Amino acid sequence: MRWACLILLMILLTPSTGWGQEKGASPGGAGAPPAAPSPQDLQAGKRIYQKWCMNCHGAQGDGAGPAADFLRPRPRDFRQGLFKIRTTQSGQLPSDQDLFNVITKGMPGTGMPGWEKVLTEAERWQLVSYLKTFSRRFARASAPPEPIRIGTQLPLSADSAAEGKRLFREIECFKCHGDEGRGDGPSAPELTDDWGAPIRPANLRKPWTFRGGHTPEALYLRLQSGIAGSPMPSFADSLDNEKTWHLVNYVMSLWQDSSGNNPPLQVVLKARRVEGEIPAQPGEAFWQDQEPFYYPLVGQVIREPRLFVPSVDGVQVQAVYNDRELALRLVWDDPTNSKADAEQGTFEDAAAIEFPVQVPPGAKRPFFLMGDAELAVQLLRWGSSSGMTELNGNGLDKLQPQSESSQESTAVGEFQNGQYQVVMKRPLRTVNTAQDIQFETGRFIPVAFFAWDGSNGETGGKMALTSWFYFFIEPALPKVTYVYPALAVVIAGGLQWWVVRRLRQTKMD
Amino acid sequence: MNTRRGIPLLVKFVAVLVGVYVGVRLVRPPLPSSLVMMYMTLTVCGVLVYVSIYAETWQEFSAPLVELFRGSPERGGLWQGGRQVVLGLIPLLLGFGVYQKVTPSFTPPAEQRVVHPAPPFEVMGLTNPLQQRPDRLQEHLELGARVYFQNCVYCHGDRFDGEGHFAHGFNPPPANFVDAGTIAQLQESYVFWRVSTGGPGLPAESTPWNSAMPKWDTMLNEEERWAVVLYLYHQTGWKPRTWE
Ligand code: HEC
Ligand code: HEC
Ligand code: HEC
Repeated sequence: MRWACLILLMILLTPSTGWGQEKGASPGGAGAPPAAPSPQDLQAGKRIYQKWCMNCHGAQGDGAGPAADFLRPRPRDFRQGLFKIRTTQSGQLPSDQDLFNVITKGMPGTGMPGWEKVLTEAERWQLVSYLKTFSRRFARASAPPEPIRIGTQLPLSADSAAEGKRLFREIECFKCHGDEGRGDGPSAPELTDDWGAPIRPANLRKPWTFRGGHTPEALYLRLQSGIAGSPMPSFADSLDNEKTWHLVNYVMSLWQDSSGNNPPLQVVLKARRVEGEIPAQPGEAFWQDQEPFYYPLVGQVIREPRLFVPSVDGVQVQAVYNDRELALRLVWDDPTNSKADAEQGTFEDAAAIEFPVQVPPGAKRPFFLMGDAELAVQLLRWGSSSGMTELNGNGLDKLQPQSESSQESTAVGEFQNGQYQVVMKRPLRTVNTAQDIQFETGRFIPVAFFAWDGSNGETGGKMALTSWFYFFIEPALPKVTYVYPALAVVIAGGLQWWVVRRLRQTKMD
Repeated sequence: MNTRRGIPLLVKFVAVLVGVYVGVRLVRPPLPSSLVMMYMTLTVCGVLVYVSIYAETWQEFSAPLVELFRGSPERGGLWQGGRQVVLGLIPLLLGFGVYQKVTPSFTPPAEQRVVHPAPPFEVMGLTNPLQQRPDRLQEHLELGARVYFQNCVYCHGDRFDGEGHFAHGFNPPPANFVDAGTIAQLQESYVFWRVSTGGPGLPAESTPWNSAMPKWDTMLNEEERWAVVLYLYHQTGWKPRTWE
C-alpha cells in the first residue's frame, strides 16, 4: 500500500504541463465514404474549396488559381478527372477513398499540403464530393473503379533487388529515371505532362519527395496503376506480382536510409582533423569514411530576381582539415550537366559556400543572403565550366570576384549520373585578411549554401539556398580529457578500497 | 514495524527508481533532462528517507550493500566472482562519467531573439485604409489573396501555419499566423510595418541577419501590402489588436 502511495505521490509531483497534453483524438485517415452526397454536402464542399483550395486549383477547378504559375508541378486541373495517386486499375478513376487520402496527406515534394490538421474528416469528404463535380467522367462512370490487388509481398533481399535492377534496364525505367535513378535519364529533358507542362521523373534516391508516399505498397500501386496525367505509364501488362515486388525492392535498395525519410537536419557542420594529405579527387574512398551533413535547399524568394521553382533541393557536405588547409566535399543531385547558352537562356551549374569575412564575436553577422552594406561575406564558388572562384558580397547585387592574386582556393569537380561531386580546398589562413575569412578551430562560424542549375535558368540571384547554419572546426582534444577520467578512476578505486578495509575492521572488532 | 519477507528491500528500491525513471521518460512531450534529473533526485531522497525511518528497515536495506563491500567468505564462487566484477566496475563507471563531462560537447551558442520588437514611432497607430471601404471588401480580399498566393505561400503556407513548401529551409521559421502568438496579438499597423520592412527592418535584438522574411516595400505597392494584411486577418479569423 505504502509503495502505491509513494508512486502516486511521484506522479502527482509531475507538473501538469506534461500530462493531458495530447490533442483531442484526431480523426484518422480511414472511415467510410458517405453514400450519395446531399446538396448540402456539395454546398459545404464548395464553401471549403473556395476558402482553402481555390487560390491554387482555380474557382472553376481548372488549376489556374493565382498561385498556379509559381508552382511546379502546377496545381491540378480537375476537369479531366486525372489523378496520380490511385489504388485503382490503369486508366480508371480514383476511388473516393483515394481522393480522401490524398487530400488528407497531401503530395510530398509539391505545393500540395496535407489537410488533416485544418479540415475535419467530414469536411474532407465534402470536398471529395465537390471535386468530383468538376469532371464529367465521374458522373458518366457506370461502375465503381476496380481496385488493384496487391499480391504476396517479396521481402527486400539482395537477390530480389538485383532482379529488380535487371528489370529496371529491361523495361527501360532508366530511360526516364536514369542509370542510378536520379531522374536524369536520356528522355527526361523532353518529358511533359498531359497539360503540356515540363515534368521531371522522380529522383528514386529521394523517396521523401514521392508524391504518393514511399511505403512498399505505395510503390507497388504506382507501378501497377501508373501516374495518370504524367508520362509515367502503368506497367500492369509487363509486370506480374513477383516482378513488381522485385522492382519495388530495387527502388528501396537505392535509399541511403531504409526508412526513406529525409536525412535529419544537423545545425552544426563539423570539420574533423586528419593527418597528412587530403585527397583532392571527390571519388576517392577517403570521402566515404567522412561524416556527411545534409542541408535542404529552397528557392530564393526574398529579393528580385526570385526563383520560385528551384531545381536542386539539397546538398550533402563533408569537411576535414589538416595543419595547412580546409577541404569541403559537396555532393548534390542535378539532372543535367548544363552549358551556358545565351540563346537558350541556360547557364553553367554551380554551388557555393558562404562565410562571413570576419567571424563575429557576438550574435551579429552579415545578412545571410550575400551580406549587407555593413558586413561582408565571402563565397567559395565552383562552377561547372568556370571552376573555382572566391568572391566577396555586400548584398545580392554587390558580389565581386576577388583579384587574381587573392584566389587561393582550388577545386576538383565531376558530374556523373545526375550528381555533382566537388572537393574544394582553401588554406586555413591567407594573406588577404581584409577579404578572406581566417579559419580557426573551436569557433562557431556561420555558414550557408547555394546551388544553381543552369538549365533551369538559374544564375545570379536566381538560386536555391539555405539560411545560416554553423560550421565548426573541431580542435584536437586537450590532454585533460584523458587525465581527469584516469584521476577519477584512481580516486574512486582508493576510496572503495578504504571502505572495504574499514568494513572488514569493524567486523573484526 | 513488520517487514515482510519476500522481495528484498534493495530490489524494491531499485525497482522504484527504474519505475519512476521509465514513467518520467514516457511523458509526452519529453521533459528536459534537467527536470528528469530533479525528479530522480527527489525519488532517491524520498525512498532513502523511507528506508531510514526505522532501524530495522535501514538494517535490511543496507545489509546486502555492506556484505558486498566487506565480502563474505561463506558465499559460493559465483558470488565471489560477481563481487569482484562489481567492485571493479564502480571506479570505471565513474571514470567514464568524468570522461563524458570533460570532453567538450561543442554546442552552438543559444540564439536569443526578440520576436516582437517595438516598432518605429512613425508606424504606430496607422489604420488600414482599406477598412474604410467596406463596400469594396470583396475586391480587396481578392487582391490580398492574389498577393499572398503569389508571394507568401512558399514560406507561410496555404494553411497560414508557417509550413509552406520552402519553410524547412529557414531558421527562424516563417511565422504561423494561425497561432495566437503572431498577428492575433498585433495591431494592423505593426503587421503592415513587418510586411513592409521584413527581416532587414528588424532591430539588432531581433537578429535581422537571420530572418528570411522579405522586405516587401520595394516589391509590393502600399495597397497590395494593406490588402494582404486585411486578407490575413480575414482568412485566419483573428481580429487585429486595437488601442485599448
Ligand atoms: C498551394 C497550392 C495548393 C492548394 C492551396 C491546394 N492544392 Fe491541391 N494540389 C496542388 C498541386 C501543386 C497539386 C499537383 C501535384 C502534382 O501533380 O504532383 C495538387 C493536386 C491535388 C490533387 C490531385 C491528387 C492526385 O492524386 O493527383 C487533389 C485531389 C487536390 N490537390 C486537392 C486539393 C484540395 C481539396 C485542396 C483544398 C483543401 C487543395 N488541393 C489545395 C496545390 C495546391
Ligand atoms: C516515360 C518515362 C518514365 C518511365 C519509363 C518510368 N517512369 Fe517512373 N516516373 C516518371 C515521371 C515523370 C515521374 C514523376 C511523376 C510525378 O511527379 O507526378 C515518375 C515517378 C516515379 C516514382 C515516384 C512515384 C511517386 O509517388 O511520386 C517511382 C517510384 C517510379 N517513377 C518508378 C519507376 C519504375 C520502377 C519504372 C520502371 C518500371 C518507371 N518509373 C518508369 C517517368 C517515368
Ligand atoms: C522567404 C520566406 C518568406 C516569405 C516569402 C514571406 N515571409 Fe513573412 N516571415 C518569414 C519568416 C522566416 C518570418 C519570421 C521571422 C521574422 O520574424 O522575421 C516571417 C514573419 C512574418 C510576419 C511577422 C509575424 C510576427 O508575429 O511578427 C508577418 C506579418 C509576415 N511574415 C507576413 C508575410 C507576408 C504578408 C508575406 C507575403 C507578402 C510574407 N510574409 C512572405 C518568411 C517569409
